[in-house]
This record gives sequence, C-alpha cells and structure tokens, in this order.
Amino acid sequence: MKRLTLIDFTGPIIALVVYVGLTMADRPWVALATRIFPNEGRYIYQNASTTTLVWQQFAMVALSSSMAVLIGVSLGLFVTHRAGADFYDVVSSLSNLSQTFPPIAVFTLTVPILGFGFEPTVLALTLYGILPVLRNTIAGIESVSPTQIESARGMGMRPYQVLLRVELPLAASVILAGVRISVVVGVATATIGAVAGAGGLGAPIISGLINDDPPVTLHGAILATYMALLFDAFIGRFEKAFAFSSPGARA
Amino acid sequence: MIRLEGVTKRYPSMERPAVDDVTFEVPAGEITALIGPSGSGKSTTLRMVNRLIEPDEGSIYVGVDEIHDIKAEDLRRRIGYAIQGVGLFPHWTVFQNIGCVPWLLHWDKPRIAARVRELLDLVGLDAAEYSAKYPSQLSGGEAQRVGVARALAADPPVLLMDEPFGAVDPLTRERLQSEFLAIQHKLRKTVLFVTHDLDEAIRVADRIALMRDGALMQHDCVERVIAYPANEFVREFVGTERALKRLSLAHVAEEMGPPGRAAATEGRVPDGATLRTALAVMLEHGERAASVIAEDGSVVGSVTIDDILAHFERPLS
Ligand SMILES: Nc1ncnc2c1ncn2[C@@H]1O[C@H](COP(=O)(O)OP(=O)(O)O)[C@@H](O)[C@H]1O
Ligand SMILES: [Mg+2]
Repeated sequence: MKRLTLIDFTGPIIALVVYVGLTMADRPWVALATRIFPNEGRYIYQNASTTTLVWQQFAMVALSSSMAVLIGVSLGLFVTHRAGADFYDVVSSLSNLSQTFPPIAVFTLTVPILGFGFEPTVLALTLYGILPVLRNTIAGIESVSPTQIESARGMGMRPYQVLLRVELPLAASVILAGVRISVVVGVATATIGAVAGAGGLGAPIISGLINDDPPVTLHGAILATYMALLFDAFIGRFEKAFAFSSPGARA
Repeated sequence: MIRLEGVTKRYPSMERPAVDDVTFEVPAGEITALIGPSGSGKSTTLRMVNRLIEPDEGSIYVGVDEIHDIKAEDLRRRIGYAIQGVGLFPHWTVFQNIGCVPWLLHWDKPRIAARVRELLDLVGLDAAEYSAKYPSQLSGGEAQRVGVARALAADPPVLLMDEPFGAVDPLTRERLQSEFLAIQHKLRKTVLFVTHDLDEAIRVADRIALMRDGALMQHDCVERVIAYPANEFVREFVGTERALKRLSLAHVAEEMGPPGRAAATEGRVPDGATLRTALAVMLEHGERAASVIAEDGSVVGSVTIDDILAHFERPLS
C-alpha cells in the first residue's frame, strides 16, 4: 500500500486555503459581482455571513456523510458476509435505487414526514447518502478475488483478520469511490436543504433565484461547487492510495 | 501423516455426494497426488483436511490429532497451503506475504525477517531483490515460488497443495516441479498434492489417489497404479501410453548390465536417466543397446532392449 504523505495533499490543501480565504473575506464577491453585473444593487446575501453559510453547509454534509458512511459500509459488509447473506437481495436492489432517485425528490418526500430545519435535513441527507456507499461497499467486497480470501483463511486468519487485513484494504478504493460520490452529491443536495429551512449555501442560491438576483445565487453556487470539488480531491487522494493490481501483471 | 477415514461431503445442490466415503493415508514424509478429472472431488477432499470445508461424515487425522479437536484457525496455521492462482495479497510485499503465518503466530520481527530470507533462498529468489516487491511486479513463475515459500513459512510438517503449478506455462511448470522436488528431498514434508495432470503426478508423487465422481478408484504407489490399474476407469485415465509412463518411472542405473554388451553401439544415456530415455536413444540410433555413462563421461554399464522387456515382466512388489 502506498503511504500517503502531506505532499500528496499539496494541491487540495492550497485549494482549501484559498477557499477559507474566499469565505472569510466577503469583499472579493462584491468586487467580482460589480464587474460582472454593473447595474445590480445587492451583491451579497444579507441574512447571514458567508462564514456562517459555509459552516452550516459543511456541518450538514460532514454530519450526514459520516453517518451515511458508517451505516452504508456496515450494512454493505453485513450483507456480503455469511451472517447477513439472507438480506443480500433486498439490500442490494434497494441500493441500486440511488441511480434512479433524483436529489430534489428527497426533500419532497422527507419534509412532510420529518419536518423542517437543520436536523431533519441532515437525516434526509444521511438516508440519501447511504445508497452510493452501500452500493460500492457491496461491489468492492465482491471484487476481492475468492482466491485471496481462500488463501487468507487457509493460512489461518480469523474471520475478523480476513475482513480487516484482506477484504477491506482490497475493497477500499471502490468503497472510497462510493464515499466520494456520496459526499459530492451530498454537498449538492444539501443546498436544496435550504428549502427545508436548514440554512447553508442553498440559502443565497434560492434567495437569488426568488429575488431575480443572479450575483447572490452565484455567490452560493460557486462556494458550494468549490466545496464539492474540495471533498472530491481529498477523498480521491485516499482512493488512489488503495489501488492495487494482481500478481503476474508483468508476465 | 494425514489420514482420511470414511470421509463424505454432500452439497445440497448435488444429487450424489461430492466426496463419497473416501479412506486413504498420506504417510509421513511422502507426497501423495490426489488426481482425477475435473469435478471428481479433489479440491473438496483437500479443503476438508484444513477445515475450509466441513465433512458430513468420517474422521480426518493430521499427525495424531483428529482435526475437529483443534480450533480451525490453529489447525490451518500448522498446515501449509498453496493453491492455483496463488492468492498472494496484492497490497502486501513479498516479505509480508511470506511472513504471514509467522506473523499470525506472533513470532518476533527478527525471527520473521530471518525466516523470510531463508525461504526466498530456498525457492531460488534473491532476498534483497524480492523482499520489497509487490505481487504485481512478479512473473507467474516467481509468484508461484513465493506461494510455495509462503506455504512453508512456519515450517509446517504437513502441506496441502491444490494445482500449485497449474497457472504457468509448461516449461516453467516443469522447472517448478523439479525445484519443488529438490526442496522436498531436503524437508521431507507430508504432502497432499491435487492435480489433474497424470504426468505431473508421476513426476512429483510417491503415491497416487485417483478419484472419480467423488469416489476413490485406486490408491497405491505410482508404479503400481500404472502397472496394475484397478479397473477400466483407471486404465483409461492412465491412457494408451501406459507402457511409456512405466518406463519413465524406472531408472537406467537400476536395470543396467555390464558395459561389454553395448560395445558396438553409438547410443549413450546418462546413468541418472529413465528407461524411457534409454529406449528413445536406442530408437534414434536404430540399435538394440546403449552405453550408460556416468557424469564424468566414463562408460559404467549398458542397457539393452531385452532389459527393458524384462522390466515389464518382473512383477512389482
Ligand atoms: N461450494 C459448493 N457448492 C456446491 N457444489 C460444489 C461446491 N464446491 C464444489 N462443488 C461440486 O462438487 C464437485 C466436486 O468439486 P471439486 O472438489 O472442486 O472437484 P475437483 O477439484 O476435482 O475439480 C463438483 O461437481 C462441484 O461442482
Ligand atoms: Mg479443483
């Protein structure tokens, strides 16, 4: 396995610093917006500071994604092993729903049940975020060659050692790809959370749309997209560290 | 020693048992080839010995212990296991792969390092060059060697091998077979070796256990299975070149007579060769005898076509 060092993260870290800078200083947005939209009046979302919006957005995504990863990976591991084999069919067809279920529909369905606000939104995002993690965990574990598992067991590894030392590391890049998709989709979906009153970068986006004020929408959209790209870059680095090929590839 | 007594395994999806009342013993320090057509139950039999599969009936002994008296993982750490496709861990170096069982047995680091070096040496790979490589950087033959080293890592008295040289080209396979034989001469492990290739069985094994549809057809030393097939199935499995296969099991040194008888002939065979080679030399020169030469080139004896015919007439003990 390739050891990750800080150097591997140089690019994403620089991007992160720029992002924090953009968040802290509201000013550049006014300057930029003045140049692009010289005749508009409001360039900044007035109801909350950019820092607050970004923080709310981050908190929603971080909370929902960590729970989604925890649940998705556990459930995926459960159904791909003997103890949970009976649930494999129902869970795996459920996980494939994620490809057909549009993000906007999430809140249309959950708001009537869960209500408005930050916590219900996080809950909805969690449920939605589980699906790609679950799907990739199942695919990742199934991609581990039976020969490798057989030799791990044959050498006398206990079941937890087979899981932790062989299956998880070998499935990690596929699982992490699922995590990456889940988080990136989570950032995007979380902006819709503003409709459910959760705050975050969706607030200026929606406010701008309603008030016909494009600079305000852009302000939120740029920061949200940028955040998604940051998550994508950081998780992608971990993903690469777990990319292995099998013996005999050279022969 | 490995002993199977009345071992039966049924799969729910199959009408007949996959392994049907099989009894045989692999004597200590010997290689038994478990052979038969694909689907005859060889791998299932092998995997029951290290409890990767649990038998429905019968008992299996490894050494003095019935295997079910030992915790499965502890049993497996005492049995070397090498399989087709090797199953090296791609995220571990050659060093880590070979050191796996010692690591599971909590050996200390210097001891593992010394052992891995010793094993790489044994299988003919340079320790300094190969330790830090990943499996993806190995050729097929090198990966098989690492697989054998890994199976031998904790110096288990018993070795289970399931077509360990099945995935390499014929030339590499022959080289791996003779290297493995050389190792076996040194280590004298008790080996159960699954193969579907009779020539491989003849080359490496002391005994053959031949299976068909889950049942044991014949279990005997290699020469006797070939000379005296127990039934029509074994006869067919051994094939029409039965006689040649017998010749390839007999060595010139055991059958040769005094040098004089081949004085007028040109053919020469090394004293380590088989009768099959001797016959080939005679055919090539169109002669009825050949001189047997030692490594230094001196003539130490002769072998004739009558010696070869006599070999077939002599009953095997
Ligand atoms: N896990 C299993 N479930 C059901 N049937 C199996 C299983 N493993 C093997 N079999 C069947 O048992 C028979 C013997 O298989 P195996 O021992 O692998 O044969 P061999 O190694 O001689 O080719 C085959 O018919 C095979 O299809
Ligand atoms: Mg097999």
